[in-house]
Amino acid sequence: MSQIVLDTLIVAASVLLATSAIIALYRIVRGPSILDRMIATDVVLASIMCGLGGFMALSGRTDLLPVLIVLAMLGFVGSVSVSRYVSKSDSMTPGAEVGSLSDFSSSDWHMPKESADDAEGDSDTGTRQQAQSAVGEEWPDDVARGISDVADGPDAITVQEDEEPVTVGLDQGTDPGADLSAEPVADPDAEGEGMGTGPDSGPEDSDDGERTGPEPEEDEGGRR
Amino acid sequence: MILDIISAVLILLGGVLSLAAALGLLRFGDLLSRMHASAKPQILGLLMVAVAIAIQYPAWSTVTTLAIVISFQLVTIPVATHMVGRAGYRTKHLRRSMLYRDELAEAVDRAEAREAAWERRRGSGTDHNDG
Repeated sequence: MSQIVLDTLIVAASVLLATSAIIALYRIVRGPSILDRMIATDVVLASIMCGLGGFMALSGRTDLLPVLIVLAMLGFVGSVSVSRYVSKSDSMTPGAEVGSLSDFSSSDWHMPKESADDAEGDSDTGTRQQAQSAVGEEWPDDVARGISDVADGPDAITVQEDEEPVTVGLDQGTDPGADLSAEPVADPDAEGEGMGTGPDSGPEDSDDGERTGPEPEEDEGGRR
Repeated sequence: MILDIISAVLILLGGVLSLAAALGLLRFGDLLSRMHASAKPQILGLLMVAVAIAIQYPAWSTVTTLAIVISFQLVTIPVATHMVGRAGYRTKHLRRSMLYRDELAEAVDRAEAREAAWERRRGSGTDHNDG
């Protein structure tokens, strides 16, 4: 009796692992970008590791344990090296705008239309909080959770063109009022010397005294 | 026999987690959502399978090698996922409409403002941001 239960469990686990590997292979073939393919490769590798572990547990081949280490190292090295050399032209994600890094900021994406006119008087962070909640609520739930039927691949790039007038309208509303008036006043004194008091990294790689303070903080902020 | 069934159930749970990750890869529409789905079997599923192996063959050599494998996964998987997510954020592999809030964009804004202020003070156009 228990032998039947054991066989059933083993066959079910094998079917699940094979199905997951096949679905991940579909994502590797179909995946819009190379990062999606890399994640799917990691899932295939995890399925292989789980299957190999199950094989070891059920058949006693514990001499195959170094293969698990090799597979783990292979997944890590593959992910890191591929994601290191991803370029911006690889992005085929529908709805992702392709442009320079300067227009990729929260000031022209998270400012709603109703608070764009009174953005001059308010503090910057308060309007940003309201902006994100308002933007988050105007999308339907299935789109926001990512389970809607938005086709991926090069056919759905037209989604990007549908969203284009919204960004243009937000640009005209926010940029002359909020950004250009707020940033040059606040930045050179408050941000520069304010950060200079905190993390003092020492004089090891500095060419002048002003640079020692803001450099590590700025590096961290830009790379995260 | 009970131990056999327990280890078989653990392997089945690993398969269920792996299938959940594959379905998440299939159904989700964004890089970050797929990353969220795909991280499950890499650590938890492998941990269950390792516990199954350790139940079947409780020798010191087996258990220590399994500990090496699991700790290696625990160290490297967050690093690799962080690298993938950072590259995806920088190269715009994410769908902006699926984000409720983007806290990193505020940090990017602050860093860019600091960079602009510093270059305005220096008066030179050297680029320090090519990481």
